[in-house]
Amino acid sequence: MAESTKPILEISELWVTFPAYRAEAIHALKGIDLRIDQGEFVGLVGESGSGKTTLARAVMGFVPPPGRVERGRVLFNGRDLSHLDDDARRAVLGRELAMVIANPRAELNPVIPVGRQISNVAYYHLGMRRAETDRLALNMLRAVRIPDPERRFNAYPHDLSGGMAQRVAIAMALICSPKLVISDDATSGLDVTVQAQVLDLLQRMVGEKGAAALFITRDIAITAHFCSRIAIIYAGEIVELAETAAFFERPAHPYSIMLLAAFSHSPALRARWTRVPSDGETATTGGCTFAPRCVRRQNRCVVEAPTLRQLTGGRRVRCHFPVESDTA
Amino acid sequence: MLLRYIARRILYVIPQLFGIILVSFLLVKLIPGDPAVMMLGPTASEQSLAALRDKMGYSKPLWQQFTYYIGAAVHGDFGSSWQTTRPVTEDLLQRFPATLELVTFGLLAAIAIGFPLGVAAARLQSGPVHKFAGYYRLVAGAIPDFWLALVLIFVFYTRLGWSAPPLGRIDMAVAPPKTITGSLVIDSLIVGDVGALSSSFGHLVLPVLTLGIVNAGPILKMTQITMTRAFSSEFVRYAEMFGLPRRVVLRQAVRAALPAVVTIISVLYGFLIGGAVLVEIVFSWGGAGQYAVQGVLNADVNPVLGFVVFSAVLSLIIYLVVDLIYFALDPRTRG
Amino acid sequence: MSSVARSGLVPPTVPRAPKGSEARFQRLRFFFAILRARPSFAVGYGIVATVAIIALLAPWLAPYGPVTADPSVYLLPPGGNHLLGTDGTGMDIFSRVLFAPRIDLAIAIVGTFVSATIGGGLGALVGYYEGQQTWRRAVSTMVMRSADVLQAFPVFVFAIALVAVFGQSVKSIILAVAFVNTPIYLRLMRIQVRSIRQLRYVEAAYVAGASDLAILRRHVIPNSIAPLVAQLSVNIGWSVLLTAGLSFVGAGVVAPTPEWGSMVAMGFQNVVTGQWWPSVFPGIALCITVVGFGLVGESLEVLLDPERRHVLSGSLR
Repeated sequence: MAESTKPILEISELWVTFPAYRAEAIHALKGIDLRIDQGEFVGLVGESGSGKTTLARAVMGFVPPPGRVERGRVLFNGRDLSHLDDDARRAVLGRELAMVIANPRAELNPVIPVGRQISNVAYYHLGMRRAETDRLALNMLRAVRIPDPERRFNAYPHDLSGGMAQRVAIAMALICSPKLVISDDATSGLDVTVQAQVLDLLQRMVGEKGAAALFITRDIAITAHFCSRIAIIYAGEIVELAETAAFFERPAHPYSIMLLAAFSHSPALRARWTRVPSDGETATTGGCTFAPRCVRRQNRCVVEAPTLRQLTGGRRVRCHFPVESDTA
Repeated sequence: MLLRYIARRILYVIPQLFGIILVSFLLVKLIPGDPAVMMLGPTASEQSLAALRDKMGYSKPLWQQFTYYIGAAVHGDFGSSWQTTRPVTEDLLQRFPATLELVTFGLLAAIAIGFPLGVAAARLQSGPVHKFAGYYRLVAGAIPDFWLALVLIFVFYTRLGWSAPPLGRIDMAVAPPKTITGSLVIDSLIVGDVGALSSSFGHLVLPVLTLGIVNAGPILKMTQITMTRAFSSEFVRYAEMFGLPRRVVLRQAVRAALPAVVTIISVLYGFLIGGAVLVEIVFSWGGAGQYAVQGVLNADVNPVLGFVVFSAVLSLIIYLVVDLIYFALDPRTRG
Repeated sequence: MSSVARSGLVPPTVPRAPKGSEARFQRLRFFFAILRARPSFAVGYGIVATVAIIALLAPWLAPYGPVTADPSVYLLPPGGNHLLGTDGTGMDIFSRVLFAPRIDLAIAIVGTFVSATIGGGLGALVGYYEGQQTWRRAVSTMVMRSADVLQAFPVFVFAIALVAVFGQSVKSIILAVAFVNTPIYLRLMRIQVRSIRQLRYVEAAYVAGASDLAILRRHVIPNSIAPLVAQLSVNIGWSVLLTAGLSFVGAGVVAPTPEWGSMVAMGFQNVVTGQWWPSVFPGIALCITVVGFGLVGESLEVLLDPERRHVLSGSLR
């Protein structure tokens, strides 16, 4: 890992909290550390509620109220986006940093043709004339392999299918050749065949432009495809961070193994790595948050929360008893 | 496809129109008061009264009167008013432009007040503007328009002497301009008659202000609600995520909120045609609403019927135009 | 339990739901907390209560009788013996302003309730039956078309015509108010019933063999009624304005019975010559009253909608 290139994204000790009405505040993110180098593809895998979307929004500087960043910071290309003034931030978003979201049809403006919406992103960021940005948008439509791009340019969001709307979202995100693309569950809700196509598309286009990507998903199998590194997130914490090949060869955290086991064809394997917590059993404060569901838990896990520590091969695991030898 | 839609709407309108005429006809026939007596006076002989009634067709059975009325109406003949002794059609054609001028300018004033306030209140979810908009909405809907008219007259005419006396649309000494659109102000502008322009404009100010202030309320409310919804809607957040400049996002939000606002404006317009009556009366505007009210109070049947039909037709046309505008503004309705 | 709960992010306790009189007390406390948080609501309730009290206690609150005319003191400006001055026939304006709500409120409340009952009842029937293929559907369609026709009328002229037909009396004004307002409740109720009708527990009752009327009475109507109640208050305010307008043109309450609108009419000519008090004060009373009812209506809108109620309660304390 070359230290001389400045990372495109550097998250340090990020804590994001949501105050709750008459109850304890909810920590959506607890001490997240993550670094993405230029041109690197990093996958982030977690289940619903693990905090992955909050992380995506926090990177863009958009933590939805009433949540707020309690500690730590996010540096994009060396700058903290949440400290910039409104205009400066708008100049960065969409141009150097862009996000592709899932099911974008509801987020597209219903009364503006999609081609125009893609063109708008370029028009307001690149200072080109409208005719040029329209042409650029049309090229993007071709690049994302939308059938009949000339006609679809004037279509409205409600005219498009889910897969086509997704491609439009990708076109919008990539038209300014951003340095970092965040894909937030961008392929969930799509048919499996369409999913594969969209993934290929994303990988190709991001790679062609030399951009980095943070690929957030619930489906761990997707990341195997093209991420160089994988991070597993659970309950607001990163529990494992490793190079992809090493990870899939031997995952270390019990949760990671559980995730992978869920895909295996052996029910016995699945059962072996899944533990259903008994009624009313929750994580103790100060203990490991995964303990109730962990098949390898010991007494130490319940009282002492593990930190993210380095293992052999440069991977990091947040566990007292990670799986290091051949026990699978 | 568009023509088919218009044709379908017009077809749908005809039974509605029929229903309206039928109901108003029956209603109006129920109004007590013998027009024959009112025309000839209480000392008239029974013979002459009977002869007059016969002549006016009141002695025939109701359904015959109705068919006769419909038949004549289709040809544009709505009978005569015994008060003005002129055909209702003529009376209405003379008075409707006055009402339309008042209502149109009043509505424009209401939009000018209500729309910007609504947008501002939606953008700034708190603060003085938001609070003011809230109070305005409440109070504007509570003010009786005839009372506001009186207050404005008192302040601007009696005390300050700034505006013209509340009598009609133009000074009696000033000759009205040639009739082109029917609006005195616009016609004076077109013809270039400065005297008529300043006089008619001066007379227009107070009633328009009255209507504007009172009717800005619903416009404000609808604008605020739809704009708030637009601002917190997903596509606005999405546009923000792509770093589009603030004014562009604002424009897009307004565009998305426009259909609902246009709808309420049109509803108001239809309502005001009959609803501006009180203001017309206070300012002796000589409008159609005033005419109809006088008809009701004096058992003069034909003006009332004629007015109802005219205003119903106008309302239906307005709704049709608005639906077409909606079509143009919101592509989702075309799908 | 959700994975979120399992992961320890949310405390898993479920609050106990209170019952019976404890619930009522809780609700009352909640209501007052809302009033404290939203002073405008409190103002609304205050105004309505005040006007109601004035209407009831007018004979004891007013210094003079409602139609006591003393021609020797006509057109006195406010002050002295006559708090708000006297009008052209020497009647004390303050007393008349106090007596007026008796008529105005009575007409507005009765008229609105009649229209809500009839309109709501019809709307419920229409909303419930219009999905079916029987003759009931045809009747429903006819009712809706009639409502369309009714609403296409210029409201004010229609009201005047009704009063003219039925003769000028309080009863006919009430009728006019009711007529004009009925389509509103009809539509409101219809929309509500249509969406409630499709809910599972209504289907369940139907399958269980309950009669249509019982279903309507026990399940559908209680759940549809919330928006109508909120509308009632606003409507009452608007009906007061309508009554005042009718009286203003002379098609409403007959002078000299005190009514805010007719008082404004009586003072009309005086305003132009500079004596503003006979017309202005009744108008102010009108404004305040209608504002009060409007505020109450707004508060009901929030309180009766569970979602908005929760949002509001979340901002308390």
